[in-house]
Amino acid sequence: MLNLAPEDWLAIQVTLKLCFYTTLILLLIGTPLAFWLAQGKSRWRTAIQALVALPLVLPPTVLGFYLLLLLGPHGAIGSTLEALGLRHLAFSFSGILIGSVIYSLPFTVQPLLEAFRRMGQRPLEVAATLGANQWDQFFNVVLPLCRGGFVVAATLTFAHTLGEFGVILMLGGSIPGETQVLSVLIYDHTEAMNYSQAHQLSLGLLVTAFVVLFIVYGLNRRLEREVSL
Amino acid sequence: MMSFWPSRWCSAAAAPAKAASRQDVGVLTVDLLVQQQNFRLQLNEQIPLQGVTALFGRSGCGKTTLLRAIAGLDHHPTARIHFAEQPWQTTDTFMPVHQRRIGMVFQESSLLPHLNVQQNLLFGYQRRVSRLQVQLQPANVIDLLELDPLLTQAPGQLSGGQRQRVALGRALLSQPQLLLLDEPLASLDQQSRQEILPFLQKVARELNMPMLLVSHQLEDVVKLADHLLLLQDGRVISRGPLAQQLLQPEFAACGAMSVLTAVYQGCQHFMLQLTVGGQLLQVPAPVNSPTANGSYRLRILARDVALSLQPLADSSVTNQLAVTIIAIQAAAHPAEVLVQLEVADQPLQALLTRQSAQRLALTPGQALFAQIKAVALD
Repeated sequence: MLNLAPEDWLAIQVTLKLCFYTTLILLLIGTPLAFWLAQGKSRWRTAIQALVALPLVLPPTVLGFYLLLLLGPHGAIGSTLEALGLRHLAFSFSGILIGSVIYSLPFTVQPLLEAFRRMGQRPLEVAATLGANQWDQFFNVVLPLCRGGFVVAATLTFAHTLGEFGVILMLGGSIPGETQVLSVLIYDHTEAMNYSQAHQLSLGLLVTAFVVLFIVYGLNRRLEREVSL
Repeated sequence: MMSFWPSRWCSAAAAPAKAASRQDVGVLTVDLLVQQQNFRLQLNEQIPLQGVTALFGRSGCGKTTLLRAIAGLDHHPTARIHFAEQPWQTTDTFMPVHQRRIGMVFQESSLLPHLNVQQNLLFGYQRRVSRLQVQLQPANVIDLLELDPLLTQAPGQLSGGQRQRVALGRALLSQPQLLLLDEPLASLDQQSRQEILPFLQKVARELNMPMLLVSHQLEDVVKLADHLLLLQDGRVISRGPLAQQLLQPEFAACGAMSVLTAVYQGCQHFMLQLTVGGQLLQVPAPVNSPTANGSYRLRILARDVALSLQPLADSSVTNQLAVTIIAIQAAAHPAEVLVQLEVADQPLQALLTRQSAQRLALTPGQALFAQIKAVALD
């Protein structure tokens, strides 16, 4: 039934790699960012929050366009890299990884922000008075109390990156093995009137996305019940 | 309890911190100015690190703000805080909360919900045990607070009083040098309060650990505190030993009372025999706790004290003390007066009608007899 061509397998590989790295990087960046936003003391908070949410409302093409300018051979970052003897980042895996990280940022930050707010300051204050420093507080209080938030953040980020299209097409084009992810390949198949291939990948993506979300939301509900007890 | 108090404690002017080192007891020095929209807290206090000091005042007077500043939970850049010889906050240093050896009990339940009672109890202990000489062992605290049956339970399964008891035990096990109690009873119903108060009294008495208690309940303060700081609108308006502080006019409004320290002499026919300056007082012995040598604290409402010029012979009132009038003040009700008395250097208050005071022609300096109708024992 499943009749995938080598380029399809290659696209699946690139997609999974992109999703994995994006999720990993975003958890590392998004956690301190959401934590800082949840504290709510700085007056920069509102501006940063708006900036984080920007990818939600902006057409992916706009984001992709500016990233292409920035990371390309004539852009500020791209030309600096060239001057250092490195390659610019347009039409490369690193380029679309940067695009994905920015594009999926709100999907990491929002659930974490909500989880941190629901937890509140008190457990951290308690831990501090009991002699726990910041790292200790993070690993032994924040992580266990907000694990539902972390699971949702990671899943939404992963799933959202899975469905990314506009930014990647603008910034990475469609280079097999490098920037050709599933959504782009489906587009290519459709353009080439290759409907059965497009169908297989589309349906696969649809089912995968649903199953992942279903499992994670179920898991999350159980985790929350445990913690609220 | 009275003699230790340095005389400067009773004057509003703060003395330099150096002077304190001559005493055996250290002091907590707090110099704090907090200015927010509708709120200003300004004080410069030296709090003796002995016994229970209550920070008393209405809600919104700045008690909790003060406690949080001492704990380091809020960082007010201009504050200066010294714990005995340790600088906790100076012009250019700020010791983070986790390095200050404080035990804090918050107003509402603060047990970590992902840990059971035992894990909660040991949270602070495990973090300090490697670095410090442990004075309080888990077994002792579990025993003292009767926590054994709760150990495997989750915080969600406990009653309000039990939770606060666990929180208290957890704070104690973190080996604090100072225990901070932020309205620990305020979120509890009357029954739970009665459940936890004896434990707080036990901790105050048996562990000899300095405690700061924030409260707006006079009842709790009178049962627990040795010293009192009276706060009003962000200022400390009075400070000193509890018995003296109860004479402040602010307390007359919420039911004037006195606290007498009495010495145990024995127990006969289920009556404790106590003396105040050599004069005998008999009080029904507590039913379910053993009597012990030492001193007892007696709470006496001003309205339970009657006065007579001659000792009464044929009266149902057993307890009669020879007293001297110090002052006569207006009471909350226009028809009543509050008579300040002294018995063996301890203050005692009596609430009389203005009429009775005139009939007996009471004047300061006069010696007479006080009949005490009811005594509460702590």
